[in-house]
Amino acid sequence: MISGIGITKTFRQRGGVLGAREVPALRGVDFAIPKGGAVSFIGESGCGKTTLGRIIAGLETCDSGEIVIDDVAMSSLSHRRRQPYFRRVQLIHQDPYSALNPTRTIHQALAAPLALRAKQTGRPRSWTDERAGELLGLVGLDPGYVLPRYPHQLSGGMRQRVVIARALTVDPEVLVADEAVSMIDVSLRLGILALLKDLRERLGVSVLFITHDVATARYIGTDGELYVIYRGQVVERGPVETVISAPVHPYTQALLSAIPVLHGLESPGEQRVVPVEASGEHPDGCLFAPRCPFRTERCERERPALGRDGGTPQEHACFHPERRSVVALPVSRG
Amino acid sequence: MSATIVPEAETGAAAAVRRNFWRGVWRVMRRKPSRMVGAVILVVFALMGVLGPVLYPDPLPRDTSALYAPPSLRHPFGTDFEGTDVLALVVTGSRYVLLTALVTAAITVVVGAGVGLFAGFRRGRWDTVLMRFTDMKLTIPGLPLLLVLSTVWKFTGAVEMGLVLGLLGWGGVARAVRSQTLSLRERGFIEAARGLGLSTTHIVGRELLPGMAPYIAMNALIAVTGAVYAQVGLFFLGVLPFEANNWGVMLNLAVFGGGALTTTAALPYLLAPLLAILLLTLGIVLVVDAMDEIFNPRLREE
Amino acid sequence: MAPEQSPPGVRIRGLTVVYRTPAGELPAVSGVDLDLAPGTITGVVGESGSGKSTLALSLLNAVQPPGRIAAGSVEIDGLGDVVALGGEGLRRARGRHVGYVFQAAQNSLNPLKTVGKQVLDLGRSHGVEDPRGLLADARDLLGRMGLDGARVLDSYQHELSGGMRQRVGIMLALVLNARLVVLDEPTTALDMITQATILRIVREVHAERGLTTLVITHDLGVVAEVADRLAVMYGGRLAEQGPTREVLAGPRHPYTRGLLGAIPRLVGDIGEARALPGRPPTLAGVPADGCVFRERCPLRMDVCETGRPPVVVSGSRSAACHAVRDDEGDRPAVAAATGEDQA
Repeated sequence: MISGIGITKTFRQRGGVLGAREVPALRGVDFAIPKGGAVSFIGESGCGKTTLGRIIAGLETCDSGEIVIDDVAMSSLSHRRRQPYFRRVQLIHQDPYSALNPTRTIHQALAAPLALRAKQTGRPRSWTDERAGELLGLVGLDPGYVLPRYPHQLSGGMRQRVVIARALTVDPEVLVADEAVSMIDVSLRLGILALLKDLRERLGVSVLFITHDVATARYIGTDGELYVIYRGQVVERGPVETVISAPVHPYTQALLSAIPVLHGLESPGEQRVVPVEASGEHPDGCLFAPRCPFRTERCERERPALGRDGGTPQEHACFHPERRSVVALPVSRG
Repeated sequence: MSATIVPEAETGAAAAVRRNFWRGVWRVMRRKPSRMVGAVILVVFALMGVLGPVLYPDPLPRDTSALYAPPSLRHPFGTDFEGTDVLALVVTGSRYVLLTALVTAAITVVVGAGVGLFAGFRRGRWDTVLMRFTDMKLTIPGLPLLLVLSTVWKFTGAVEMGLVLGLLGWGGVARAVRSQTLSLRERGFIEAARGLGLSTTHIVGRELLPGMAPYIAMNALIAVTGAVYAQVGLFFLGVLPFEANNWGVMLNLAVFGGGALTTTAALPYLLAPLLAILLLTLGIVLVVDAMDEIFNPRLREE
Repeated sequence: MAPEQSPPGVRIRGLTVVYRTPAGELPAVSGVDLDLAPGTITGVVGESGSGKSTLALSLLNAVQPPGRIAAGSVEIDGLGDVVALGGEGLRRARGRHVGYVFQAAQNSLNPLKTVGKQVLDLGRSHGVEDPRGLLADARDLLGRMGLDGARVLDSYQHELSGGMRQRVGIMLALVLNARLVVLDEPTTALDMITQATILRIVREVHAERGLTTLVITHDLGVVAEVADRLAVMYGGRLAEQGPTREVLAGPRHPYTRGLLGAIPRLVGDIGEARALPGRPPTLAGVPADGCVFRERCPLRMDVCETGRPPVVVSGSRSAACHAVRDDEGDRPAVAAATGEDQA
């Protein structure tokens, strides 16, 4: 179990002569990833979802807030003592091409962490080769084919499977998959998603899925939880199927409306939400208000907090939650 | 090299990778005839450096009846002012030149890559300090410093000479390796290695270094030519002690003693060491071309 | 320069593009016949290695060595056969007649020059006499796409967001009044909402300016949103083409069916969606004989090993597959496909 309370992060962008500009990436985000569960962070690029994933994987630190792993607060530990905890969270990179060292074979890539693991657990060296084969089998690859090869000899889909196998070498509890299928051929994406789902079921490993494509989040597990993030704030949060079928925050609705409709197979949702093109924000108001087609005066003055106002089953941060049918529905065919 | 002792505990897979590597190197070299020519030239020079002095008696015999003799079957490059065979001088002189060059290359690469890797990987304060030092070193002009040094230190040993040249030459490599390290360390696989808890030694030695191997190998080869030029230049200027079979000294004597620039008699004496330097440079240039393909698995395996 | 009366049509016949490799010349595009009807948007869908980008480059005769157009013709109304064009004529055609929005147009702007400067450069290289008019056109186009034209023209690449850069790319393709526009992966690396905006703009600009548009993408959804006609490429060949809605509603080629089945959807049974087995072919891995898709095909038969699949035409649709027969009009051998399993 890994959770976070009030995670805040601000980046200092070096501006021109006027010095640094502060860009808030995360504004007090709470989350919880249950053991064996599936959690998805959804949002546009720059919304902070990747930063949050990296903080959870221990690759970055937060300015304030607390990451808690197995009831231990990470801020109470020294950098060195923290490492074993964060090793249980493994990040799957978006780009399977840069995630593997081009000068090392797959065997070498897996052997190094496995040798470390063997040492920690007092297993013999011979175990590493056996385990490498086992892990590759688990991710659906043929060890005999893959092990002696260099990354460039494998397709994108195979590389991503190798990356997942490598993450599994340290027996992690959480896999953080950051846009893990966006650079993979369309026909193979579903295979990777199915693999992550399969690993959840077979190994009990939790999956934190980070993406801008809501539809893929469903395939990690319909029992999962969805966090919709806008400008560093969680604006809607709830069970996957609830948020997708009955979204109440206009931003979630805009995201869902933007998914291309397969005309001929589907008919577009009747109340598709198209956000206004605008920039800037109201200093105290709702972060989405400048782009929200349904904003009121209150939205520009006050910032809504995450809650269940209006008796919705999911949490949301909106003063005017309302269900809208935005999702394309299959055309019934006779 | 004698460092290819294979540890017994090595697994079959690792040995296979190594075997494949050498097979790949052979494939890369065969791809262009020029590379083979370059390799052959380098091998000939290596043999010359190792065996040359053994082949000839010491001191070299003098034929006082044939001073500045023209090229002939007996003396392919003629003789010098004392009647010594020029070819013999070039061959016996190669050991000093090549040994110096090797030491220089080794120091340039080891110190340069070491400093660059450490600074780039650690970043922060270490980086600042090391790079300031490197920059300071880079601003010191090499040749004048060598001239000054040579007044107090007679470079009789090749290793000493190489040491000095190496310590003067690593700055550029350090800067370049550092900037490569800085860009490589942001790559996904380095981050993954850190996330998996792999040691810094492993990350630097096994993950970062191989990616820079072609670059480092190229620099090593180029350092060899640099060292040859530098020392031959020093001896040519005559600031260093006289030694008959030194390429630089030969050039000096041919030009200033034999008047090779005005008369033809000493011309072979001048051309022989020049030709040796030219050939050595050519061999290196031809081989450098293969480095990228040798150390990049993608190019090697194709 | 006065725009022509009607948008240009394009007829591609028997187009074959080969790449020279150590293993000999390998076809990236092989015997493709494709028509772009005047005034329509055609979408070409394919995975990596399908040859879709090479096809797009052929429209400008811009295939770079080691590739070359080995056979076939590309007839563009008002230009003739582009394959036969060369040198100056070709350079003029690019930009004037055919506007091209490159893959990752977000990153293909010159970082050292303002957008306006780049518009002027473009005008100069095409001998535009009225640079002021050109800038005004550029400003109007940007304004049409929902941007503050004057400000964008004064901006450098790094001052613009991904979606804005993409719009600048479209503007640069259209500012010389090209009536044939090629968009290569217009929305990759863009967010969902930005993608929707760009696709809407493509549709609107296409209609307003009377263009013939070709969209190259790996995403069936993108084509479904904008294209009138859809062509599916696999391993350098056209697998299937036809009106978008009809193809999506009743795909005939097993690859099209597989691709459709592999798209994650928001509603419906998750169990129905599955990835295609195997992997897309690489240039060297395309089989010389028979069907290129057979390795991954659930309907594989003996004839697929040797015979190149015939192009079965029915009405405005066609599919290149041994398992599709003319008499099976709308309902091909779908039944057999449901028993799909991993290879």
